[in-house]
Amino acid sequence: MTIDPGRSATVRSVEPGGARDEDLLRRLVAGDEQAFRELFRRYASAAHALAFRLVRQAQVAEEIVQEAFLSVWRNPDRYDGARGSVRSWLMGTVHHRAVDAVRREQAQRRRAEQASGIGPGVVEDPVDDLLAAIDLPRERKLVRAALGALPEEQRDVIQRMYFEGLSQSQIAERTGLPLGTVKSRTLLAMRRLRANLGEGTR
Amino acid sequence: MIRDHALIDELLAAQALDGLDADGAALLERELAAHGDCEECRRLEIEHAEVAGMLALALDPRPVREAMADRILAERRTAAAPIERLDARRDARLGWWQAAFGVAAAVALVFAILLATQDGEGQGVPGPAIVAFEGTAPGDLAMSFTPGESGALVWATGLPDPGPGKVYELWMIEDGDPVRGACLAPESGAVAAFLDADPSSADLLAVTVESEECPDAPTTDPVYTAEPGTTQ
Ligand SMILES: [Zn+2]
Repeated sequence: MTIDPGRSATVRSVEPGGARDEDLLRRLVAGDEQAFRELFRRYASAAHALAFRLVRQAQVAEEIVQEAFLSVWRNPDRYDGARGSVRSWLMGTVHHRAVDAVRREQAQRRRAEQASGIGPGVVEDPVDDLLAAIDLPRERKLVRAALGALPEEQRDVIQRMYFEGLSQSQIAERTGLPLGTVKSRTLLAMRRLRANLGEGTR
Repeated sequence: MIRDHALIDELLAAQALDGLDADGAALLERELAAHGDCEECRRLEIEHAEVAGMLALALDPRPVREAMADRILAERRTAAAPIERLDARRDARLGWWQAAFGVAAAVALVFAILLATQDGEGQGVPGPAIVAFEGTAPGDLAMSFTPGESGALVWATGLPDPGPGKVYELWMIEDGDPVRGACLAPESGAVAAFLDADPSSADLLAVTVESEECPDAPTTDPVYTAEPGTTQ
Protein backbone atom coordinates (compact mmCIF):
# COMPACT_ATOMS: atom_id res chain seq x y z
CA MET A 1 0.00 0.00 0.00
CA THR A 2 1.18 3.46 -0.78
CA ILE A 3 0.95 6.26 1.72
CA ASP A 4 1.25 8.79 -1.02
CA PRO A 5 -1.96 10.81 -1.29
CA GLY A 6 -3.52 11.05 -4.70
CA ARG A 7 -1.75 8.08 -6.24
CA SER A 8 -4.34 5.40 -5.84
CA ALA A 9 -5.09 3.44 -8.97
CA THR A 10 -8.53 2.63 -7.61
CA VAL A 11 -9.41 6.23 -7.09
CA ARG A 12 -7.88 7.36 -10.34
CA SER A 13 -10.20 5.04 -12.23
CA VAL A 14 -13.13 6.78 -10.62
CA GLU A 15 -11.86 10.32 -10.40
CA PRO A 16 -9.13 11.41 -12.78
CA GLY A 17 -6.14 12.68 -10.83
CA GLY A 18 -7.18 10.92 -7.63
CA ALA A 19 -9.42 12.31 -4.92
CA ARG A 20 -7.81 14.76 -2.56
CA ASP A 21 -7.87 13.84 1.10
CA GLU A 22 -10.11 16.81 1.76
CA ASP A 23 -12.60 15.59 -0.84
CA LEU A 24 -12.60 12.14 0.73
CA LEU A 25 -13.38 13.75 4.06
CA ARG A 26 -16.31 15.62 2.55
CA ARG A 27 -17.68 12.38 1.13
CA LEU A 28 -17.17 10.76 4.50
CA VAL A 29 -19.43 13.33 6.11
CA ALA A 30 -22.13 12.08 3.74
CA GLY A 31 -21.47 8.52 4.95
CA ASP A 32 -19.56 7.34 1.85
CA GLU A 33 -17.94 4.01 2.82
CA GLN A 34 -15.70 3.97 -0.25
CA ALA A 35 -14.23 7.29 0.79
CA PHE A 36 -13.49 5.87 4.21
CA ARG A 37 -11.84 2.79 2.73
CA GLU A 38 -9.67 4.96 0.53
CA LEU A 39 -8.57 7.13 3.43
CA PHE A 40 -7.91 4.02 5.47
CA ARG A 41 -5.88 2.55 2.62
CA ARG A 42 -3.80 5.70 2.37
CA TYR A 43 -3.01 6.25 6.02
CA ALA A 44 -3.76 3.24 8.20
CA SER A 45 -0.39 1.57 7.73
CA ALA A 46 1.48 4.82 8.39
CA ALA A 47 -0.68 5.39 11.45
CA HIS A 48 -0.03 1.84 12.57
CA ALA A 49 3.73 2.28 12.16
CA LEU A 50 3.59 5.46 14.21
CA ALA A 51 1.53 3.95 17.00
CA PHE A 52 3.73 0.86 17.14
CA ARG A 53 6.92 2.91 17.20
CA LEU A 54 5.64 4.70 20.27
CA VAL A 55 3.88 2.00 22.26
CA ARG A 56 5.98 -1.01 21.12
CA GLN A 57 3.10 -3.37 21.66
CA ALA A 58 1.37 -4.77 18.60
CA GLN A 59 -2.05 -5.08 20.14
CA VAL A 60 -2.07 -1.67 21.76
CA ALA A 61 -0.86 -0.11 18.50
CA GLU A 62 -3.71 -1.75 16.59
CA GLU A 63 -6.23 -0.53 19.13
CA ILE A 64 -4.95 3.01 18.80
CA VAL A 65 -5.28 2.91 15.01
CA GLN A 66 -8.74 1.42 15.24
CA GLU A 67 -9.93 4.01 17.73
CA ALA A 68 -8.48 6.86 15.69
CA PHE A 69 -10.12 5.72 12.45
CA LEU A 70 -13.36 4.92 14.22
CA SER A 71 -13.43 8.47 15.47
CA VAL A 72 -12.84 9.70 11.90
CA TRP A 73 -15.65 7.50 10.61
CA ARG A 74 -18.06 8.61 13.29
CA ASN A 75 -17.13 12.27 13.40
CA PRO A 76 -15.58 13.33 10.09
CA ASP A 77 -16.99 16.82 10.63
CA ARG A 78 -14.47 17.33 13.41
CA TYR A 79 -11.90 17.95 10.72
CA ASP A 80 -11.44 21.65 10.08
CA GLY A 81 -9.77 22.36 6.75
CA ALA A 82 -8.77 25.82 7.94
CA ARG A 83 -6.51 24.22 10.56
CA GLY A 84 -4.33 22.09 8.31
CA SER A 85 -4.27 19.00 6.15
CA VAL A 86 -6.19 15.79 6.67
CA ARG A 87 -2.88 13.98 6.98
CA SER A 88 -1.58 16.11 9.83
CA TRP A 89 -4.96 15.93 11.57
CA LEU A 90 -5.06 12.15 11.30
CA MET A 91 -1.44 11.57 12.26
CA GLY A 92 -1.76 14.10 15.06
CA THR A 93 -4.73 12.18 16.47
CA VAL A 94 -2.86 8.88 16.33
CA HIS A 95 0.29 10.39 17.82
CA HIS A 96 -1.64 11.99 20.63
CA ARG A 97 -3.38 8.75 21.56
CA ALA A 98 -0.15 6.79 21.38
CA VAL A 99 1.74 9.31 23.53
CA ASP A 100 -1.04 9.14 26.10
CA ALA A 101 -0.57 5.40 26.25
CA VAL A 102 3.22 5.72 26.48
CA ARG A 103 3.05 8.21 29.35
CA ARG A 104 0.71 6.02 31.33
CA GLU A 105 2.99 3.07 30.70
CA GLN A 106 6.06 5.12 31.71
CA ALA A 107 4.45 6.16 34.97
CA GLN A 108 3.64 2.54 35.71
CA ARG A 109 7.10 1.33 34.79
CA ARG A 110 8.71 4.02 36.93
CA ARG A 111 6.73 2.88 39.92
CA ALA A 112 7.67 -0.73 39.20
CA GLU A 113 11.34 0.17 38.75
CA GLN A 114 11.40 2.14 41.96
CA ALA A 115 9.86 -0.80 43.73
CA SER A 116 12.35 -3.29 42.28
CA GLY A 117 15.40 -1.01 42.25
CA ILE A 118 16.00 -1.62 38.52
CA GLY A 119 16.92 1.39 36.38
CA PRO A 120 15.54 2.18 32.93
CA GLY A 121 16.68 -0.06 30.08
CA VAL A 122 18.89 0.89 27.15
CA VAL A 123 17.20 3.34 24.79
CA GLU A 124 17.28 2.41 21.13
CA ASP A 125 18.08 4.85 18.38
CA PRO A 126 15.21 4.49 15.94
CA VAL A 127 16.15 7.40 13.72
CA ASP A 128 19.48 5.83 12.86
CA ASP A 129 17.84 2.76 11.44
CA LEU A 130 15.33 5.02 9.72
CA LEU A 131 18.12 6.76 7.91
CA ALA A 132 19.74 3.53 6.75
CA ALA A 133 16.93 2.39 4.48
CA ILE A 134 16.98 2.98 0.72
CA ASP A 135 14.64 2.92 -2.24
CA LEU A 136 11.60 4.50 -0.66
CA PRO A 137 8.50 6.26 -1.86
CA ARG A 138 9.12 9.93 -2.47
CA GLU A 139 7.65 11.26 0.75
CA ARG A 140 9.38 8.82 3.03
CA LYS A 141 12.66 9.61 1.33
CA LEU A 142 12.00 13.33 1.71
CA VAL A 143 11.19 13.09 5.42
CA ARG A 144 14.15 10.86 6.18
CA ALA A 145 16.45 13.18 4.31
CA ALA A 146 15.06 16.13 6.26
CA LEU A 147 15.64 14.31 9.54
CA GLY A 148 19.11 13.29 8.42
CA ALA A 149 20.00 16.88 7.60
CA LEU A 150 19.28 18.07 11.16
CA PRO A 151 22.21 18.70 13.47
CA GLU A 152 22.54 15.66 15.66
CA GLU A 153 21.48 17.40 18.87
CA GLN A 154 18.26 18.62 17.23
CA ARG A 155 17.51 15.23 15.69
CA ASP A 156 17.96 13.67 19.10
CA VAL A 157 15.27 15.92 20.55
CA ILE A 158 12.84 15.12 17.73
CA GLN A 159 13.56 11.45 18.07
CA ARG A 160 12.91 11.38 21.79
CA MET A 161 9.90 13.64 21.64
CA TYR A 162 8.07 12.47 18.52
CA PHE A 163 9.23 8.87 18.13
CA GLU A 164 9.52 7.95 21.80
CA GLY A 165 6.80 10.12 23.29
CA LEU A 166 8.93 11.93 25.87
CA SER A 167 7.97 15.39 27.09
CA GLN A 168 10.43 18.26 27.16
CA SER A 169 11.08 17.91 30.88
CA GLN A 170 11.59 14.16 30.52
CA ILE A 171 14.16 14.80 27.81
CA ALA A 172 15.93 17.35 29.98
CA GLU A 173 15.98 14.84 32.81
CA ARG A 174 17.37 12.02 30.69
CA THR A 175 19.96 14.02 28.80
CA GLY A 176 21.00 16.31 31.62
CA LEU A 177 20.40 19.31 29.36
CA PRO A 178 18.81 22.47 30.77
CA LEU A 179 15.09 22.55 29.99
CA GLY A 180 15.55 25.83 28.13
CA THR A 181 18.02 24.13 25.77
CA VAL A 182 15.56 21.35 25.03
CA LYS A 183 12.89 23.94 24.26
CA SER A 184 15.06 25.98 21.94
CA ARG A 185 16.32 22.86 20.15
CA THR A 186 12.73 21.74 19.62
CA LEU A 187 11.88 25.00 17.90
CA LEU A 188 15.08 25.09 15.86
CA ALA A 189 14.54 21.50 14.74
CA MET A 190 10.96 22.17 13.69
CA ARG A 191 11.96 25.26 11.74
CA ARG A 192 14.74 23.44 9.97
CA LEU A 193 12.52 20.47 9.21
CA ARG A 194 9.96 22.77 7.67
CA ALA A 195 12.62 24.37 5.51
CA ASN A 196 13.96 20.96 4.50
CA LEU A 197 10.55 19.49 3.80
CA GLY A 198 9.56 22.51 1.74
CA GLU A 199 6.39 22.17 -0.29
CA GLY A 200 5.78 18.69 1.14
CA THR A 201 4.34 20.24 4.26
CA ARG A 202 1.49 21.95 2.48
CA MET B 1 -1.00 45.80 16.64
CA ILE B 2 2.04 43.58 16.22
CA ARG B 3 2.43 40.96 18.92
CA ASP B 4 5.48 39.00 19.92
CA HIS B 5 5.17 35.38 18.85
CA ALA B 6 8.51 34.02 20.06
CA LEU B 7 7.07 32.23 23.08
CA ILE B 8 3.98 30.99 21.27
CA ASP B 9 6.14 29.70 18.42
CA GLU B 10 8.27 27.71 20.84
CA LEU B 11 5.25 26.31 22.65
CA LEU B 12 3.43 25.42 19.44
CA ALA B 13 6.49 23.57 18.13
CA ALA B 14 6.52 21.34 21.18
CA GLN B 15 2.76 20.95 21.19
CA ALA B 16 2.78 19.66 17.62
CA LEU B 17 5.14 16.91 18.79
CA ASP B 18 3.03 16.20 21.90
CA GLY B 19 6.07 17.20 23.92
CA LEU B 20 4.62 19.89 26.18
CA ASP B 21 4.47 19.25 29.88
CA ALA B 22 1.30 20.18 31.72
CA ASP B 23 2.56 23.62 32.71
CA GLY B 24 3.64 24.31 29.12
CA ALA B 25 0.23 23.31 27.84
CA ALA B 26 -1.44 25.62 30.35
CA LEU B 27 0.88 28.46 29.40
CA LEU B 28 0.15 27.95 25.71
CA GLU B 29 -3.56 28.02 26.38
CA ARG B 30 -3.23 31.31 28.24
CA GLU B 31 -1.01 32.84 25.56
CA LEU B 32 -3.35 31.82 22.76
CA ALA B 33 -6.33 33.17 24.67
CA ALA B 34 -4.52 36.47 25.16
CA HIS B 35 -3.94 36.71 21.40
CA GLY B 36 -7.57 35.95 20.64
CA ASP B 37 -8.41 35.54 16.99
CA CYS B 38 -4.83 35.93 15.74
CA GLU B 39 -3.85 35.03 12.22
CA GLU B 40 -0.17 34.62 13.03
CA CYS B 41 -0.94 32.19 15.86
CA ARG B 42 -3.07 30.13 13.46
CA ARG B 43 -0.36 30.16 10.83
CA LEU B 44 2.28 28.96 13.29
CA GLU B 45 0.04 26.26 14.66
CA ILE B 46 -0.70 24.89 11.20
CA GLU B 47 2.94 25.08 10.17
CA HIS B 48 4.17 23.05 13.12
CA ALA B 49 1.31 20.57 12.87
CA GLU B 50 2.08 19.96 9.20
CA VAL B 51 5.74 19.28 9.92
CA ALA B 52 4.82 16.88 12.73
CA GLY B 53 2.28 15.17 10.46
CA MET B 54 5.01 14.52 7.90
CA LEU B 55 7.35 12.92 10.43
CA ALA B 56 5.15 9.84 10.72
CA LEU B 57 5.82 9.12 7.06
CA ALA B 58 9.49 8.48 7.82
CA LEU B 59 8.58 5.13 9.30
CA ASP B 60 8.25 1.92 7.33
CA PRO B 61 4.52 1.37 6.99
CA ARG B 62 3.08 -1.36 9.15
CA PRO B 63 0.28 -3.16 7.35
CA VAL B 64 -3.20 -3.18 8.84
CA ARG B 65 -5.69 -5.91 8.13
CA GLU B 66 -8.55 -4.84 5.89
CA ALA B 67 -10.85 -6.46 8.45
CA MET B 68 -10.24 -3.45 10.68
CA ALA B 69 -11.88 -1.18 8.11
CA ASP B 70 -14.83 -3.57 7.91
CA ARG B 71 -15.12 -3.58 11.67
CA ILE B 72 -15.10 0.22 11.81
CA LEU B 73 -17.61 0.57 8.99
CA ALA B 74 -19.94 -1.81 10.78
CA GLU B 75 -19.89 0.50 13.77
CA ARG B 76 -22.06 3.34 12.60
CA ARG B 77 -24.72 0.95 11.43
CA THR B 78 -24.98 -0.47 14.94
CA ALA B 79 -25.15 3.05 16.36
CA ALA B 80 -23.98 4.02 19.78
CA ALA B 81 -22.62 0.78 21.18
CA PRO B 82 -18.96 1.14 22.11
CA ILE B 83 -16.54 -0.59 19.79
CA GLU B 84 -15.39 -3.94 21.04
CA ARG B 85 -11.79 -4.21 21.92
CA LEU B 86 -9.72 -6.41 19.68
CA ASP B 87 -10.01 -9.25 22.13
CA ALA B 88 -11.49 -9.89 25.50
CA ARG B 89 -8.37 -8.77 27.32
CA ARG B 90 -9.01 -5.98 29.74
CA ASP B 91 -5.94 -3.85 30.19
CA ALA B 92 -6.57 -1.21 32.78
CA ARG B 93 -3.16 0.37 32.27
CA LEU B 94 -3.73 1.19 28.66
CA GLY B 95 -7.47 0.88 28.59
CA TRP B 96 -9.59 3.73 27.51
CA TRP B 97 -12.57 4.25 29.69
CA GLN B 98 -14.63 1.90 27.59
CA ALA B 99 -13.60 -1.53 28.74
CA ALA B 100 -16.29 -3.69 27.23
CA PHE B 101 -16.30 -6.94 29.05
CA GLY B 102 -19.58 -8.75 29.00
CA VAL B 103 -21.73 -6.08 30.53
CA ALA B 104 -24.47 -8.21 32.00
CA ALA B 105 -22.07 -10.65 33.64
CA ALA B 106 -19.96 -7.89 35.12
CA VAL B 107 -22.97 -6.03 36.47
CA ALA B 108 -24.30 -9.19 38.07
CA LEU B 109 -20.93 -9.90 39.66
CA VAL B 110 -20.51 -6.41 41.06
CA PHE B 111 -24.01 -6.35 42.48
CA ALA B 112 -23.30 -9.68 44.12
CA ILE B 113 -20.18 -8.19 45.74
CA LEU B 114 -22.14 -5.10 46.75
CA LEU B 115 -24.84 -7.18 48.38
CA ALA B 116 -22.27 -9.31 50.18
CA THR B 117 -20.56 -6.17 51.47
CA GLN B 118 -23.82 -4.64 52.64
CA ASP B 119 -24.70 -7.83 54.48
CA GLY B 120 -21.50 -7.44 56.45
CA GLU B 121 -20.22 -10.67 54.97
CA GLY B 122 -17.77 -9.09 52.60
CA GLN B 123 -14.79 -9.26 54.94
CA GLY B 124 -12.89 -11.48 52.50
CA VAL B 125 -13.54 -9.13 49.60
CA PRO B 126 -11.04 -6.27 49.33
CA GLY B 127 -13.27 -3.38 50.29
CA PRO B 128 -13.46 -0.54 47.84
CA ALA B 129 -15.67 2.44 48.59
CA ILE B 130 -19.02 2.30 46.84
CA VAL B 131 -21.12 5.35 46.03
CA ALA B 132 -24.68 5.17 44.78
CA PHE B 133 -25.95 7.87 42.44
CA GLU B 134 -29.23 9.66 42.88
CA GLY B 135 -31.08 10.81 39.84
CA THR B 136 -34.03 12.33 38.15
CA ALA B 137 -34.20 9.26 35.88
CA PRO B 138 -34.95 5.67 36.95
CA GLY B 139 -32.33 2.93 37.27
CA ASP B 140 -29.48 2.06 39.61
CA LEU B 141 -26.04 3.55 39.05
CA ALA B 142 -23.05 3.10 41.33
CA MET B 143 -19.29 3.33 41.38
CA SER B 144 -16.63 1.52 43.38
CA PHE B 145 -13.09 2.73 43.91
CA THR B 146 -10.30 2.82 46.45
CA PRO B 147 -9.79 6.43 47.59
CA GLY B 148 -6.35 7.74 46.66
CA GLU B 149 -5.85 5.12 43.95
CA SER B 150 -6.47 5.38 40.24
CA GLY B 151 -9.11 3.09 38.83
CA ALA B 152 -12.84 2.86 39.43
CA LEU B 153 -15.61 0.60 38.30
CA VAL B 154 -18.92 2.11 37.22
CA TRP B 155 -21.96 -0.02 36.80
CA ALA B 156 -25.67 0.42 36.33
CA THR B 157 -28.87 -1.42 35.59
CA GLY B 158 -32.27 -0.28 34.45
CA LEU B 159 -31.03 2.92 32.82
CA PRO B 160 -33.41 4.45 30.27
CA ASP B 161 -32.19 4.47 26.67
CA PRO B 162 -30.42 7.84 26.30
CA GLY B 163 -31.87 8.16 22.77
CA PRO B 164 -30.55 7.66 19.24
CA GLY B 165 -26.95 8.83 18.84
CA LYS B 166 -26.77 9.59 22.58
CA VAL B 167 -24.79 8.15 25.46
CA TYR B 168 -24.39 8.87 29.14
CA GLU B 169 -21.25 10.70 30.12
CA LEU B 170 -19.75 10.72 33.58
CA TRP B 171 -18.03 13.82 34.96
CA MET B 172 -15.87 14.41 37.98
CA ILE B 173 -16.50 17.95 39.19
CA GLU B 174 -13.43 19.40 40.86
CA ASP B 175 -13.51 22.99 42.12
CA GLY B 176 -16.48 23.59 39.90
CA ASP B 177 -14.76 22.28 36.76
CA PRO B 178 -16.07 19.13 35.09
CA VAL B 179 -13.37 16.60 34.21
CA ARG B 180 -14.40 13.97 31.71
CA GLY B 181 -14.70 10.55 33.32
CA ALA B 182 -16.27 7.98 31.06
CA CYS B 183 -18.71 7.55 28.22
CA LEU B 184 -21.37 5.02 29.04
CA ALA B 185 -23.44 3.36 26.34
CA PRO B 186 -25.99 1.13 28.06
CA GLU B 187 -26.82 -2.30 26.66
CA SER B 188 -30.37 -3.20 27.62
CA GLY B 189 -30.09 -0.57 30.33
CA ALA B 190 -26.91 -2.08 31.81
CA VAL B 191 -23.49 -0.47 32.00
CA ALA B 192 -20.15 -1.66 33.31
CA ALA B 193 -17.12 0.47 32.63
CA PHE B 194 -13.64 0.98 33.95
CA LEU B 195 -12.54 4.51 34.76
CA ASP B 196 -8.80 5.17 34.71
CA ALA B 197 -8.87 7.90 37.35
CA ASP B 198 -9.24 8.47 41.06
CA PRO B 199 -12.75 9.84 41.64
CA SER B 200 -12.21 10.45 45.35
CA SER B 201 -10.68 13.88 44.69
CA ALA B 202 -13.87 15.08 42.97
CA ASP B 203 -16.40 17.16 44.88
CA LEU B 204 -19.24 15.72 42.87
CA LEU B 205 -19.79 13.00 40.31
CA ALA B 206 -22.39 13.79 37.67
CA VAL B 207 -23.85 11.98 34.68
CA THR B 208 -25.33 13.81 31.72
CA VAL B 209 -26.82 12.72 28.40
CA GLU B 210 -24.48 13.66 25.56
CA SER B 211 -23.95 12.94 21.87
CA GLU B 212 -22.10 9.69 21.20
CA GLU B 213 -18.93 11.59 20.34
CA CYS B 214 -18.57 12.29 24.08
CA PRO B 215 -17.87 16.03 24.22
CA ASP B 216 -15.10 17.50 26.40
CA ALA B 217 -17.57 19.45 28.50
CA PRO B 218 -21.15 18.71 29.54
CA THR B 219 -23.87 20.26 27.39
CA THR B 220 -26.90 19.18 29.43
CA ASP B 221 -27.94 19.10 33.08
CA PRO B 222 -27.04 16.05 35.16
CA VAL B 223 -29.53 13.19 35.35
CA TYR B 224 -27.58 11.39 38.10
CA THR B 225 -25.22 12.76 40.74
CA ALA B 226 -23.24 11.38 43.67
CA GLU B 227 -20.75 12.74 46.19
CA PRO B 228 -17.69 10.52 46.34
CA GLY B 229 -17.39 11.31 50.06
CA THR B 230 -20.71 9.63 50.85
CA THR B 231 -19.71 6.01 50.46
CA GLN B 232 -21.73 3.09 51.63
ZN1 LIG C 1 -0.84 35.57 17.87
